[in-house]
Amino acid sequence: MKEAEMKELKRYPIWSNCLYTFRALRREEGTRAFAVCVGDTLCSVLLPFLEAAMAGAAAACLVSGKAPWVRLLMVAGYILLLQGVRFLQGNLKELRNKLFFLFRIDITREFERKTLEMDIQSLESAGGRKKWEAAQRNLYMGNGAGIEAYAKSYWDMLANLGGLAVYGVIVGRESGFLLAFLVLQTFIVTGFHLLAARRTYGMEEEIEDIWKEFRYLRRESILPGNGKDIRLYRMDRWFPEAMRESIRKICALIDREENGYMAAGMGNRLLTFARSAVVYGWLIREMLLGSLGLPAFLLYVGIVAGFEAWVRGFLEAVINIFSNEKIMKSYRDFMDYGIVEEGKPAPGKQGKPHEIRLEHVTFRYEGSREDTIQDLSLTIRAGEKLALVGRNGAGKTTLIKLLCGLYRPSSGKIYLDGQDMQTLSQREIFREFAVVFQEVFAFSFPLSENVSCAQAGTEDGERLRRCLEKAGLWERVQALPKKAGTSMNQDMDKEGVTLSGGELQKMMLARALYKDAPVVILDEPTAALDPIAESEMYEKYDGMIRGKTAVFISHRLSSTRFCDRILFMEQGRILQEGSHESLMKQGGAYAELFALQARYYQKA
Amino acid sequence: MQKLKSIHRTGFRIMKMIHREDSLIIPLHLLKVALSLTQTYAGLFVTAEMIDALLLEEYRKAAGLALLLLGIGLLLGLTEQLLRRQFKGRLTKIWLIFYVWLREKAFSMDYETMENPEAAEKLLFSERTSDMYGGLGVLLCHYTDILQAILNIFLSVFLVGCLCASGPRGEFGLLGILARPLPSFLLFAGTLGGMAFCAFRGFGKFARRQMEIFQAHTGEEHKLMYLNQQIFGEAKVGKIIRIYGMEEMILHNSAEFGKRARAYFSASCDVGRAEANANRLVNAFFTVVTYFLVALKTVTGAVTVGAFTRYAGALNQFGGACFSVIAKHGELQKICIYTDEFLKFLDTENIHGKGSIPVEKRDDGEYELAFENVSFRYPGSEIPVLKNVNCRINIRGKMAVVGRNGAGKTTFIKLLCRLYDPTEGRITLNGVDIRKYSQEEYRGLFSVVFQDFKLFSFSVGENVAAGYEWQEEKLWDALRQAEADGFVRDMEKQLDTYLYKDLRDGVAVSGGEAQKLALARALYKDAPVVILDEPTAALDAKAEAQIYARFNEMVEGRTSIYISHRMSSCRFCDEIIVFHEGEIVERGSHEELYDAGGRYTQMWNAQARYYV
Repeated sequence: MKEAEMKELKRYPIWSNCLYTFRALRREEGTRAFAVCVGDTLCSVLLPFLEAAMAGAAAACLVSGKAPWVRLLMVAGYILLLQGVRFLQGNLKELRNKLFFLFRIDITREFERKTLEMDIQSLESAGGRKKWEAAQRNLYMGNGAGIEAYAKSYWDMLANLGGLAVYGVIVGRESGFLLAFLVLQTFIVTGFHLLAARRTYGMEEEIEDIWKEFRYLRRESILPGNGKDIRLYRMDRWFPEAMRESIRKICALIDREENGYMAAGMGNRLLTFARSAVVYGWLIREMLLGSLGLPAFLLYVGIVAGFEAWVRGFLEAVINIFSNEKIMKSYRDFMDYGIVEEGKPAPGKQGKPHEIRLEHVTFRYEGSREDTIQDLSLTIRAGEKLALVGRNGAGKTTLIKLLCGLYRPSSGKIYLDGQDMQTLSQREIFREFAVVFQEVFAFSFPLSENVSCAQAGTEDGERLRRCLEKAGLWERVQALPKKAGTSMNQDMDKEGVTLSGGELQKMMLARALYKDAPVVILDEPTAALDPIAESEMYEKYDGMIRGKTAVFISHRLSSTRFCDRILFMEQGRILQEGSHESLMKQGGAYAELFALQARYYQKA
Repeated sequence: MQKLKSIHRTGFRIMKMIHREDSLIIPLHLLKVALSLTQTYAGLFVTAEMIDALLLEEYRKAAGLALLLLGIGLLLGLTEQLLRRQFKGRLTKIWLIFYVWLREKAFSMDYETMENPEAAEKLLFSERTSDMYGGLGVLLCHYTDILQAILNIFLSVFLVGCLCASGPRGEFGLLGILARPLPSFLLFAGTLGGMAFCAFRGFGKFARRQMEIFQAHTGEEHKLMYLNQQIFGEAKVGKIIRIYGMEEMILHNSAEFGKRARAYFSASCDVGRAEANANRLVNAFFTVVTYFLVALKTVTGAVTVGAFTRYAGALNQFGGACFSVIAKHGELQKICIYTDEFLKFLDTENIHGKGSIPVEKRDDGEYELAFENVSFRYPGSEIPVLKNVNCRINIRGKMAVVGRNGAGKTTFIKLLCRLYDPTEGRITLNGVDIRKYSQEEYRGLFSVVFQDFKLFSFSVGENVAAGYEWQEEKLWDALRQAEADGFVRDMEKQLDTYLYKDLRDGVAVSGGEAQKLALARALYKDAPVVILDEPTAALDAKAEAQIYARFNEMVEGRTSIYISHRMSSCRFCDEIIVFHEGEIVERGSHEELYDAGGRYTQMWNAQARYYV
């Protein structure tokens, strides 16, 4: 991680993350959650103690010299108590685990809302993508990592501390020396484990890279759309081989990791042997001296054996907390990132065709070394029909993202009817635009939601019908199994229907029509259409943008003929502008490009 | 019984597969069982002896026994560590190799079969459940545990028998009668019987409930993945959501999904907890009774206090082992459901047998392809996509295929490459039905750039060479022909540059650049038939013109088919076929078709009018 990023995450100290987590827990699951946790913690301390003491207690009962049936009942009573606590503890532990699991599911809603409502430029930037990726680990990494494991670890730490306290008092009361010896021994054992864990930690990145590769191969090799190329280019042998190679690498790394753990484990065994020898020796000596009875002997054997488990448990909990700290920090960093400022005013003249003016606008993507838009000034008059043409990468799509307020210029200003866009509410600006972007796809929700953009059942049915008719999709929709209520694709609904590229483009047009915003922007909307459909689509656009401000991007220069003005862009600048006729007369880049395309259509 | 047999048939078949992949893994697990049992029973015996020695105040003997106990522990513990070092890597390998097996099978199957959602669903079901249960290695672990438990039962039954057989020493009234061998046996047998009864009934019920809940949830993970990756995690959708104010709609849908997921996990946890609780209750009952029995024997002098620990331990082992057999068997049953699906998938046969005739190698490229009365419906669909298509593809000719969206152009290509087989009629190569040729060799005849071509997150060179041998010079040649050499040369590591960011810090290529790389891949394959399906859709006018200009050179000496919505491409093809609703309706040169004034003219004019 880079230094700057580290510094950014320093804003979230461990105590504040702990507080944040448990506030969220109370908010999502109520105070009952805490009662369960406390009960579980108490039982978790009590149960191991009762188990460790059982041999001693049974011996005490059996050699107590009381009447046989009394001794019998005493043993049975102890076992009954032990079983009772075991039942309670097991039950509470599972309740607790369920609770934290549900907590993780519930808190996902807040993350999703954040993702949808935050500033889009921040989210789309390389840094924003990274932050999102890091933050989602808090919720989607299963039960063992992220906020669920983090919250649980605090309670585990508490239980182990409690156990340590109880055991420490018992051993310490008998012999301070023995306690000190035990503590020392556990520290050495833990040291071994930490060393092994640190070794693993150092290899983490290396192994994660290979895992990523394996997951990628695994996914791509059976993705439905990939089958044709895989079979035709003989990659059907290549993929399994590459996967086997990844597996070999993963297992080699795991073996290397395991070597460390094996060494630690062996050291541990030796130390345990030494420790037990000392303890047994000491206990037998005490018995020899007559200061210790058999029950006490057995109790200490149990306690000493259990001591290490508490220390281990405590350290595991602490390590768990610290390893999830990083994820928690990333999560909070994301939640505080790209917040949209509230309370800005809405633009004036809502619903009227706006004038948009750019003054010396420059835009550079984060991390890029070149400006994508360079010192560009432009006025789009209210009601004007504008075409943007130019080669791939000239900055056309970036320019429209600036126009509709998705991106803010790196320098320069954009005015909407004379008002600086940055002083206006982003959400309200969005209301004034209907944009058909290049990407052709449907959300895997009902078609009606894809068009109306509102929850199914709340849309205006009449308007939906009208827009689908205008877009030329109404008949197709009527033929669908659930009409407009039919789900798109099969992701969320097995009965969903997949529309063709051309149909999807019509659906996206219907969406723009339904919105009926005063500024319409169309980015390469006919790439997948056949000539007849394309030509029909142009006619539809014509009707759709009447009385509105419109911006149109296309590689097919022919389509720009119905625009008032054509801008030819190159390297983020406007190279030429004017009507088709004037640009053709001028000669130059536009005329050349047009000639290139037109040549094949001229009579031979 | 029948069910039991089928479970273990599945289980043993998988074990055999595991053994074939790694012949050491099963012996190692057996060794682990032996070690673990030795440790348990040695511990029980030596501890009991030690306690008795302490009670008899034979401290020297007790110290010796303590040392023996620790020594055995150390020795076995060290061996166990050595063994354990082997397990994680080997089990991980077994877990992951499962995915390779699935793919090897998938690739060996017809494209048509694999594109069928049902087959894909079978594959994905196996994968998802494997992810959930931790893979095939878990099966091995369960079998190991069951074996250990069974051995454990044998050993402990012997000890329990000794315990029950011992009689009281002295007069203890009612307690004395209870402590006699027969009543002890009855007590123990009664408890065991009751426990087994409860367990078998209860476990079956819980396992069924778990399964019901699990099956009702199948497919939900996929939805979660869709929402997380395609909506919340996808950079390109955020702008659309904001511009169209879709936030509330999407959050509502996601919350609805979340509610279902919550209910599922909640129910699943509850069933698990109820099962564990029932388990704990039965177990508690068994423990209380058995301890009562051992204590009874001890207070009546039938066994020593030291033996109390040994027998209590043995009974514990016995009870634990019984539960382990039942519980692990239940787990095994669950796992066998998905492994069954997996095995069924492995046993699936191809619908269309694979041909075997080798394709004749010809340097002159004289491969004549023809469609004879070909009709085609997609599997599971009623609607014919191609209707009675007859067409001879001229050797070394340049053919353009045009038609409206959905007219059957791409399907025509898929049939030609034998990704699908015709429903009726046949396709021939040099007069022989293509189904008779070896599929792999036949496919070797075609270089295709599909509309939805796919590049992968590997290096540029690997993407272009694909499954063929890497030859640097030839790679550059292909890149140059596809107009891609320029931007590849500008990349820092040239051919070794990684594409996309999925894996390494690769470069993002634009749609146009990707199209050129896909074209280079097709040219690298150097096949006698080149097919381009909308190869310039993402290119700007200039790039398109460059490709057009190079087209003749690219397909020199080969048969070529060019599909495009840009009618301009028809100008440099010798022959054009026009598809309409699955049929070839027009065929001829541009001039002929243009003068005919049919569908072709209509399409041509729709585009050309803006340019004249």
